[in-house]
Amino acid sequence: MDQEKSEICNIKVNGTNFEKVDNEMAKKDDSKEKKKLSKRTLKKEHQKELKKDLDLNDHKISTKELEEKYGTSIIQGLTSTRAAEVLARDGLNVLTPFKDTPKIIKFFKQMVGGFSSLLWAGAILCFIAYVIEFSKDNSVSMDNLYLGVVLIIVVILTGMFAYYQEAKSTNIIASFSKMIPRKALVIRDGEKREIPAEELVVGDIVEIKGGDQIPADIRILDSQGCKVDNSSLTGESEPQTRSCHFTHENPLETKNIGFYSTTCLEGTATGIVINTGDRTIIGRIASLASSVGQEKTPIAIEIEHFVHIVAGVAVSIGIVFFIIAICMKYRVLDAVVFLIGIILANVPEGLVAAVTVSLSLTAKRMAKKNCLVKNLEAVETLGSTSIICSDKTGTLTQNRMTVAHLWFDNQIYRADTSEDQKAQSFDQSSATWASLFNIVTLCNRAEFGAGQENVSIMKKIVIGDASETALLKFSGIITDDVIGKRKRNPKVAEIPFNSVNKFQLSIHETDDPNDKRFLLVMKGAPERILEKCSTIMINGQEQPLDESAREAFQTAYMELGGLGERVLGFCHLYLPEDEFPDTYSFDIETMNFPTSDLCFVGLISLIDPPRSTVPDAVIKCRSAGIKVIMVTGDHPITAKAIARSVGIISANSETVEDIAKRLKIPVEQVNKREAKAAVVSGMELKEMSPEQLDELLKNHSEIVFARTSPQQKLIIVEGCQRQDAIVAVTGDGVNDSPALKKANIGIAMGFAGSDAAKNAADMVLLDDNFSSIVTGIEEGRLIFDNMKKIIAFTLTKNIAELCPFLIFIIAGVPLPIGTIAILFIDLGTDVIPSIALAYEKAESDIMNRKPRHKKKDRLVNHQLALYSYLQIGILQSVGGFFAYFTVYAVQGFRPERLLYLRPFWEDNTFNDLEDSYGQEWTKYQRKYLEWTGYTAYFVAVMVQQIADVIIRKTRINSIFQQGLFRNKYIWVGIASQIIIAVILSCGLGSITALNFTTLRIQYWFVAVPYAIIIWLYDEFRKLLVRQYPGSWWDNNMYY
Amino acid sequence: MARGKAKEEGSWKKFIWNWEKKEFLGRTGGSWFKILLFYLIFYGCLAGIFIGTIQVMLLTISDFQPKYQDRVAPPGLTQIPQIQKTEIAFRPSEPQSYSPYVVSLNRFLEKYSDTIQKNDLDFEDCGDVPSDYKERGEFNNEQGTKKVCRFKREWLGNCSGILDETFGYSSGKPCIIIKLNRVLAFKPKPPKNDSLDKDVMIRYNPNVLPVHCAGKREDDKDKVGTVEYFGLGGYSGFPLQYYPYYGKLLQPKYLQPLLAVQFTNLTTDTEVRVECKAYGENIGYSEKDRFQGRFDVKFEIKSS
Repeated sequence: MDQEKSEICNIKVNGTNFEKVDNEMAKKDDSKEKKKLSKRTLKKEHQKELKKDLDLNDHKISTKELEEKYGTSIIQGLTSTRAAEVLARDGLNVLTPFKDTPKIIKFFKQMVGGFSSLLWAGAILCFIAYVIEFSKDNSVSMDNLYLGVVLIIVVILTGMFAYYQEAKSTNIIASFSKMIPRKALVIRDGEKREIPAEELVVGDIVEIKGGDQIPADIRILDSQGCKVDNSSLTGESEPQTRSCHFTHENPLETKNIGFYSTTCLEGTATGIVINTGDRTIIGRIASLASSVGQEKTPIAIEIEHFVHIVAGVAVSIGIVFFIIAICMKYRVLDAVVFLIGIILANVPEGLVAAVTVSLSLTAKRMAKKNCLVKNLEAVETLGSTSIICSDKTGTLTQNRMTVAHLWFDNQIYRADTSEDQKAQSFDQSSATWASLFNIVTLCNRAEFGAGQENVSIMKKIVIGDASETALLKFSGIITDDVIGKRKRNPKVAEIPFNSVNKFQLSIHETDDPNDKRFLLVMKGAPERILEKCSTIMINGQEQPLDESAREAFQTAYMELGGLGERVLGFCHLYLPEDEFPDTYSFDIETMNFPTSDLCFVGLISLIDPPRSTVPDAVIKCRSAGIKVIMVTGDHPITAKAIARSVGIISANSETVEDIAKRLKIPVEQVNKREAKAAVVSGMELKEMSPEQLDELLKNHSEIVFARTSPQQKLIIVEGCQRQDAIVAVTGDGVNDSPALKKANIGIAMGFAGSDAAKNAADMVLLDDNFSSIVTGIEEGRLIFDNMKKIIAFTLTKNIAELCPFLIFIIAGVPLPIGTIAILFIDLGTDVIPSIALAYEKAESDIMNRKPRHKKKDRLVNHQLALYSYLQIGILQSVGGFFAYFTVYAVQGFRPERLLYLRPFWEDNTFNDLEDSYGQEWTKYQRKYLEWTGYTAYFVAVMVQQIADVIIRKTRINSIFQQGLFRNKYIWVGIASQIIIAVILSCGLGSITALNFTTLRIQYWFVAVPYAIIIWLYDEFRKLLVRQYPGSWWDNNMYY
Repeated sequence: MARGKAKEEGSWKKFIWNWEKKEFLGRTGGSWFKILLFYLIFYGCLAGIFIGTIQVMLLTISDFQPKYQDRVAPPGLTQIPQIQKTEIAFRPSEPQSYSPYVVSLNRFLEKYSDTIQKNDLDFEDCGDVPSDYKERGEFNNEQGTKKVCRFKREWLGNCSGILDETFGYSSGKPCIIIKLNRVLAFKPKPPKNDSLDKDVMIRYNPNVLPVHCAGKREDDKDKVGTVEYFGLGGYSGFPLQYYPYYGKLLQPKYLQPLLAVQFTNLTTDTEVRVECKAYGENIGYSEKDRFQGRFDVKFEIKSS
C-alpha cells in the first residue's frame, strides 16, 4: 500500500515537471504531454505488474483445452501454414535486445558533454570575432579563424577519442554475448523436424532431451524423468523434475511448465509451446530490466561536479575580465578575444582523454584479474562500493557438493573441503571406516565420463547428481581405483533413489573370494536409514542399536544439519549365504531380500563449501568498511552456515535467534539492537515495509537474506540505495537482471551467468569468484586517488595559462603566451605525464579505510582546487613570468618598459618602437620577440609541470617514501614533455602559424629554480600534513 | 522535483550565509581570517621571490648594451609620415586631405631643428660630406655621456619643411622621410662597388649606405616618374659617421641620419606602389617582415 502511494506521488511529481517544461514551450502541445505522462504511468504499472507474480492459466487447463486454444494437435502438431500465420502474427521467438542508444547519439553526446560545450562557445566566439573584423576590413589576420577551426578540431578529436575508448570496451562484451544459433525439434504436419528455435510459434509441439535449452515457454505434455535447471529463473540450484501434472497454482512453482532458456538436465519431455519471445516469462523479466532506470555512476557525478567548478571559474573570470576590459576602454572585439583566451586557458582540454585512458588502463588491469568491465566508469564505481550484495552459490562457494563431515564410531570427522581436497586428515584406520568406504564406493550410480584418464580427480567430469558426484570424487581421492573396486564387487541388483523411498540400495558380490555372501549397501535420508537398522557398527564390531547409540546418532545428525549440511546415512548387511546363494535372483520389484535389521555404519554430510579465498576477501571487505550482504535462494540454515564459514557473519556476532536461544527467552523479547547479525528469509522480507527494511539494513551490520526470489533482490538493492550506499550486486540468472541494472554496479558471472545478466551488468567476473570483486575494489579505489592526482596536476597549469591573459589585460604587457601554445601544453606536453599518474601505486593501504562518502568525499574538493589554483598554479605563473621577462630583458625590453606598452606594441603602423636601449623595432621584429616570449613561457610551464608531476605522485607521503623511480611511466611522461617541447621549439619553430621560435639553451633552465621551489614547498606541505593530522594545515592543505 | 529544487536553493542561501554556524561561504570569520592571513603571507613570500629573481636576472644584463640583438637586427627601414596601411592618398587642392601627413612630418622634424642641436656639450659637427664610422669608445659611462653628430634640417632641401611648409603635398609632389631604425652598435656596411644596379650606383659613395626608391612592380615603374633625394652632401643614403649608435643612456640626444625623398612627377588618379630599399652587406630583407631593410608605400594623388 505504501509503495503504491509513493508511486502515485512519483508520477504526480513527474507530471508537474512536464507541465513546467510545457509552460516554457508556451503550451505547445497539450495532448502530447498527456501522452507522455500516460506512457510513464503505463511503464510504472507495467513494472509493478512484473514485480508481482504472473497470471497464466495454461498450466491449469487440460490438454484438450490447450489444443483448442492454440489450434493444434498433440499428435500431428501445427500445420505449416498455420505456423506461418502465427509466426507472422507474433514475430520471431527471440528476445528483443536491449535498446542501445544509437552510436551516432552516443558520439554526439561525447561532442557536447562536459568541457566540449565551453570549447564550442570559444570556437563560436572566434568565428564571430573574425566575421566582425572581416566585415570591417577584409585584409585582417586569419588568427581568429584558425583558432576557431583548431578548437573545433580539438573538440571533435577528443570526442572521437572518448567514443573510441568507450566503444572498444563495449566490444569486449559484445563478443561475449554472441548467441549460438539454436535448433528445436518440433512436430509439424505430423512429422518431426528440426527448425531454428526462432521460428517456433505458440501451439508448436516440441520435444526436448537432456542437455537442451528449452526453446520457449512450454506446457509439458509427457515426460520421462525430465529434470530442469531453473536456477536462472528462480534461483533454486536444485534440479527440478518436470511432469505433466498440475501441482501448483503459481505458474513458477507448478511442475508442468518448462521455461524458456532454462536447461533440461536429463530425461526427455514433449510439450506444447504456450509463449514465445518477449512474452515468455524470461522475456518479461528482461523487459523489466530495461525499464529499470540506471543511476548515474559516481565518477560521472564527480566529473560533472568538477566540470561545473572549472566551467564556473572560467565563465566568472571570463565575464569579470570582459567587464574590466570594457571599462579599460578596450575595443569590444578585443574584449571578446580576451574572453576566448580565458576560456581556453581554463578548460583542461587533455583531461578527458587522460581520464578515459587511465580508466581503460585500469579496466585492462582488472580484466587480467578476472574482472571484465563493460562500462569504463564502472571501474571507479567498484572502488566506492559500500555494500556488496553477493550471491552464495558459485560466487562465495565452489558450486559443487563436497563431503564436509563424516560420523562413525560415535565421532565426527572433518573432511577437507578446499578446492583440491588433497589433505584428508581424518583417522582412516578404523574398520568402520573401511565398511563405510565400501558403501560410499559401491552404493553410487555416478560415473566418471569417458576418456579422462589423465585428468585429476577433482576436475574429472562426472555423470550423476551432485551428491553422488561428491561421494564419487571423495572416494576417488581416498583410493585411486574406484572403478576397479566396483568391478571387483559386481552389482547384482539396484534400487535407485526416489523421493518416496528416500533411500538408494544395491547388492554386490564381494571381492573376497572366500566370502560368498552378498553385500547389501544402502544410503539415504539418515532417519529413514536408521529406521531400517537394528545394529550399529562401532570400531568394526556390530553392536545392538540401543537408546544411547540412537541418542548419539541424533546429536550428530542435529549438529551436522545445524551446519547447513546435507546429511546422508549409510548402512549395510551381509546377506546370509544359506538363504541367498550365488544363484539367487534378486527382484527389485518384489524386494525378495531384507531391507530391515541392517547394520548402521555412519553418516556423511555434504555441503557446497566456500571458496578458499573468500574468507580472506570478506575480511578485506570488512576492514575496507564494505558491508557484505548475502542474498541466496537457499535455506536459511545453509545460508547462515556458509555466511559463518566465510565470515559474512563473524564468529562472535549473534542473530536475534541466537541471543534468544542463549538467554532462553522468546525471540520477541530480545533487544534487536543487540544482534549484529540477521538472517532474513524471503517470507519475512515479503511482509516488511520499506521502513522496516531500512531499519534492518541500518541496524545490522551482518545480514543474510535467504530463500529470496531474485525479484526480491531488486527490493534489497533499492533498500540499500536508500541508505545512500553505493551497491554492488552479483547475479547470474535472467531474473537477476533488474537488480543488476538497478545496482550502482551490477556484476555478472562469466561462467554461470546468462546472457541477459551479462547484458544488464556493468562488469563480468570471469572466474565467478567473490575475491575477484575485492581486487576490483582495490583497483577502483586506487584509480579514484590517482584521478585526484591527475586532476590536481592538470588544474595547476590552468592558472599558469590564465594569468598571462589577466596580466595582459590589466598591465598591458605584450601577451606572454598564445592560445596555440596553450593547446600544445594541454594536448601535447601534459597528456602523457597525466596518464602516467594513473600507474601510481597506492600511498597506504587503501583497503583499510572506509569507502568514500558519496556526498562528502568529492573527487575535486575545495582543498584540491585551492591548492592547485591558488598556490602551485600561482607559483607556476610567477615562474612563467620570470622566464618571459628574462627573454624580453635580454633582447632589450626591460620589465618596466613592458608595462602598458600594449597599444604601441600591437600597432601595425609603429615600425620603430623604442626599447629600453633606444633601439627601434619593426612590428614583425616585435611579433617575433613575442613568439620567443610564448616559447619561453611555454618552456617554463613545461619545466614546472615536471616538478608538478613529481609532487603529484603523492598526496601525503614524501616522494622518497613513495620511491622516485617505482613508477617508470612518470619518467616516460617527463621525457615526452621535454621531447615535445624540443620538437616544437626547434623543429616546428619555422612554422609561423604555430608561433614557436627556437630558444637559446640557457633559457630552458630559467624556471628551474621555481620548479625546485614547487617541489620543496610541496614536500613541506606534506611534512606538516603528516606531522599534524587534524590541524588547520591538514584540513586546508590535504586534498 | 520541485521540492528538490527549493531545497537546493535553500542550501545555496545557507552556503552563502549560514546563520546557525555564522558561516560565510562555508567558513566562519576566524576561519576566513586564518586562510586570508595564510594567503597574505604566501603571496608576500612569492612576491619577494619574484622580485628577487628579477633583480638577479637584471644584474646579469648591462645597462648600456642589450645581451642579444638577433631579433632587432638587421634593422628596419621606416618612413615618415607613419600611416595606416602605408597608403598616402590626398588631393593637392584640399589641404585637409594631406594635413595629417604634414603634421606627422613636422612633428618628427622638430627634433632636428637647429635650436635643439645648439648645445655643444651634446652635439658636434661631423662634416657635411660622408665619412667613415665614428667610434666613441667602450659601451660604458666611464667617460660620461657621448657626443652626437648634428644633422641639419636644411640638408633635406625641398623636404625640410623650411621652404615648403606642406612638404610638396600642395603641389602634388609629396615628400617622405626615410630613416634606418636605430640598433645599438650597428654599423651598416655599404655594398661592394660592383654588386648594384646602375640607378643606385650613380651617386655611389663608399661612406654612404645607399637607399633607392622605385616602382614596386613593372607597371609601377613608369608611373613613379622622377624621384629626388635629399640627404647629407646630396647623397641618397645614410652617411656612416652617424654610426654606431651608443644607446639611450650614453647618447640620449642621438639623431639618426635622414633621407628625404620627393616624388615630383607621380602619375595622378592611380595607385602607385613605391618600394624604397636600403642596400648594404649587413642589410637584410625578409618575406615576412615588410619593413626590414625596405618598405613600400602606396601613393594615390587625386587631381580633381
